[in-house]
Amino acid sequence: MLIEYYPINTQLHKLDVRTKLFGFLAITIIAFIFLSPVINFFLVLISLLMLIWAKAPIKRLNLVIKPLIPIFIIMLVITGFTYSPSAFESEFNRNILFYLLPDMGAPFTVGGFQLGLTLVMRILTMVLASSVITFTTQIEDILQLFKKMKMPYQLAFVITTGIRFIPTMQKKAEMIQEAQITRGAEIGTGGMIKRIKSFIPILIPMIVNSLRMSDNLAVAMLNRGFGAMKTSTDLEEIKMTTKDYVISIIIMIILVSAIWARNKNVGVL
Amino acid sequence: MNNRPELERGSVFGDVEKFRYADSTADTLTNIKINIKKGEIIGVMGRTGSGKTSLLMLLNGLIPHFYEGEFKGNVISNTMNTQRYRVQTLSRFIGMVLQDAETQIFSLTVDKDVAFGPSNLAFDRDKIRNAVTFSLEAVGLKGYESRMTTGLSGGEKQRVAIAGVLAMEPEILVLDEPTSELDPKGKLEIYELLNKLRQKRDVTIIISGHDSEEMLHYVDRLMVMENGKIVWEGKPEKLFTDITLTKNLGICPPEITEIGKLLSNGDKETLYLTVSECVADLTKKLKLSSTPIDNKATNYNSNSPIIIETNNLCYSYDKKSSVLKNINIKIHMGEFVALIGKNGAGKTTFSKHLNGLLRPTNGKIFINGRDAFNINTAELSKTVGYVFQNPDHQIFAASVKEEIEYGLKAYGFDEEEREKRVKNVLRFVGMENYEERHPFSLGKGERQKLAVSSILAMTPQILVIDEPTTGQDWEGALKMMSLLKELHAKGHTIITITHNMRLAADYADRVIVFADGQVVLDDAPANIFKQTDILNKYFITPPQSVLVAQNLKPFGIMDNLLTVNELVENIKSKLN
Ligand SMILES: Nc1ncnc2c1ncn2[C@@H]1O[C@H](COP(=O)(O)OP(=O)(O)OP(=O)(O)O)[C@@H](O)[C@H]1O
Ligand SMILES: [Mg+2]
Repeated sequence: MLIEYYPINTQLHKLDVRTKLFGFLAITIIAFIFLSPVINFFLVLISLLMLIWAKAPIKRLNLVIKPLIPIFIIMLVITGFTYSPSAFESEFNRNILFYLLPDMGAPFTVGGFQLGLTLVMRILTMVLASSVITFTTQIEDILQLFKKMKMPYQLAFVITTGIRFIPTMQKKAEMIQEAQITRGAEIGTGGMIKRIKSFIPILIPMIVNSLRMSDNLAVAMLNRGFGAMKTSTDLEEIKMTTKDYVISIIIMIILVSAIWARNKNVGVL
Repeated sequence: MNNRPELERGSVFGDVEKFRYADSTADTLTNIKINIKKGEIIGVMGRTGSGKTSLLMLLNGLIPHFYEGEFKGNVISNTMNTQRYRVQTLSRFIGMVLQDAETQIFSLTVDKDVAFGPSNLAFDRDKIRNAVTFSLEAVGLKGYESRMTTGLSGGEKQRVAIAGVLAMEPEILVLDEPTSELDPKGKLEIYELLNKLRQKRDVTIIISGHDSEEMLHYVDRLMVMENGKIVWEGKPEKLFTDITLTKNLGICPPEITEIGKLLSNGDKETLYLTVSECVADLTKKLKLSSTPIDNKATNYNSNSPIIIETNNLCYSYDKKSSVLKNINIKIHMGEFVALIGKNGAGKTTFSKHLNGLLRPTNGKIFINGRDAFNINTAELSKTVGYVFQNPDHQIFAASVKEEIEYGLKAYGFDEEEREKRVKNVLRFVGMENYEERHPFSLGKGERQKLAVSSILAMTPQILVIDEPTTGQDWEGALKMMSLLKELHAKGHTIITITHNMRLAADYADRVIVFADGQVVLDDAPANIFKQTDILNKYFITPPQSVLVAQNLKPFGIMDNLLTVNELVENIKSKLN
């Protein structure tokens, strides 16, 4: 839901949902087995390039990433201090950049800092790669996949309403904000703290509203025959094409070689 | 005919002694008897809060399955006892268009949304595609297939909601106020469509709403509700020719039957059901006038200073197509302006520019002589109060008082002043002692008043109200309009959007017609409404009294008359 699906026809939009999910899985595994920030930086780069390739409105990511920046900084600081030099295999990483306390207390290690960078990049990779999926895949395709996986009806219902509920809530939040602005509230201006503060008055009505809204949503869905039959028709069948198989095989090869490389101690700190 | 009529497909039988919502203290429905045959068109009318929606929800099992409570009785829809089948199973045969269009739209694009129902019913793909095409065309949304559902106007959303149910090809079609946000021609087209569905597929139709004129022509039978009971049932012409009864039931009689009634003298009743009937009858009675007069209405007052001026204002939501094209409007202080036009013509988009919720992509807008581009909405809202199209879009607080206080707090009024203003504004709209009520416990009409109050409390000089009477009953609509009139008399400038031509004619002193993002007509109401042919092109039907006056022009009837009373007076003076 980071970037909502938008119907355009790029190569990524055309790929099968399974190929894309497999790719996402692969990039996640690779991100988590390597500790090196360089490798993780490439993963961020690849995800970003894919987003650009999919013609996604990248600026919107600011909304997600900006609030994360303080967290990133805290992560970098904490990892820098918590890992003692002995935790690292390479000499370079055992280097100490500076001490926080006198008498060599609380050393800040190069390795710790690099580890922090890796963690930050992992998060970025997750955000970007999942955005690729949400921007290029329709909810209907994902639901169809669930159905193919023989997910029980009740579970599918919960997931479907959940998925459909998020944009409804988003829209509601926007409306409340607009309503407040028209009554003299200054929202979306000023510094970070002010912005967060101005968001609080929306939160309460949102929570109150969400119960009512989820009820209404359920009524409306039943009313449109959701769950009336054992099966439902999918307008477009999800289908693996030759391209999907080729790409999946390539992803597989990359994944296997990554795991192999990891076993040869590539990309450790 | 079956000897057990409830076993005939497409019929509805109900005998409900009572229904009470779980959290309610009074019965919502009492002693409801329903007997609807296959292929009938039934209209359900009555004041807001009289139980129309609850009645309709009996028919597809939403009551008692989803809305639990005390339920005593039985409803048999399409031979199925609603208590024994799930709502989703019933939905295969009984389609229901819910009152709130927005909650019924799930998918990202229009065609997917309309396909949602039929795919749940496992229609095969070709059938779904055909159903989607047919339904969209039927509701006037051809060409909207791949539009995003989030970028639709209020009326367009309502049309999508109708199409979504149509596509499920129900045998019984239930519609809860489906035309409340439609433009006049769109409304007529929906009734036409229902008529066709009945003729071609023998669909049973039950429709609620406040459209007296259309109900008169299209429904076979009317049910009028009051306090949870069906208090009147019968042919619509029977009800509407009894003006007193109609008004007592809180229903607006069609202008044409009212004209007939007012022209009757004592013993001889004149009954008109259509404009042409009325014109034919009066043509016989009136003498041709040698000098048909062309009455140009006096132009709207335009001496006072200009407070809103737009200069080639253009707007587009997505850089591709422009929704507003070179709008040039000057609004003077103290005017009462009605904006009218087809759904999606750009009325709401335009009005959102007046307080800066939207900023022109091109061109300029001046408020009180200042270029509004550099003034933020919070600042502008001190001068321009904006009430949204749907009150539920703007109500968010947990109590009436909090809701009204929100803006006052933002402006930094102290507690004493806030208290005073809340009290004053609630008295003004007739909602004293409502302070502590939760907004969602209020009826739609009251919520609409609350939405207006929350803006009024800040005493803006200019008041912009988007469709203030949508979904309100006749009395509610009149109350809202007289409220605006009172504000107008106090010196406020009023700009209101409406699809109710009668209200526009009766209350506004200037009407601006939008079509396809442009201003196509801008004049005093009398001058606007007499241009029948042009208006038709812009999806607007003038009030019936105007049409009658138009047709009687050769007989010396003035054609700048707007209200029923003015017209009747004029006709009477010629008859003698
Ligand atoms: N948020 C949006 N994004 C994209 N397009 C939009 C958006 N809102 C409205 N539109 C489109 O702009 C046009 C004008 O919409 P607008 O809401 O101004 O119409 P309106 O005249 O108020 O109609 P109605 O009588 O149905 O309320 C419509 O074609 C509509 O589909
Ligand atoms: Mg509108």
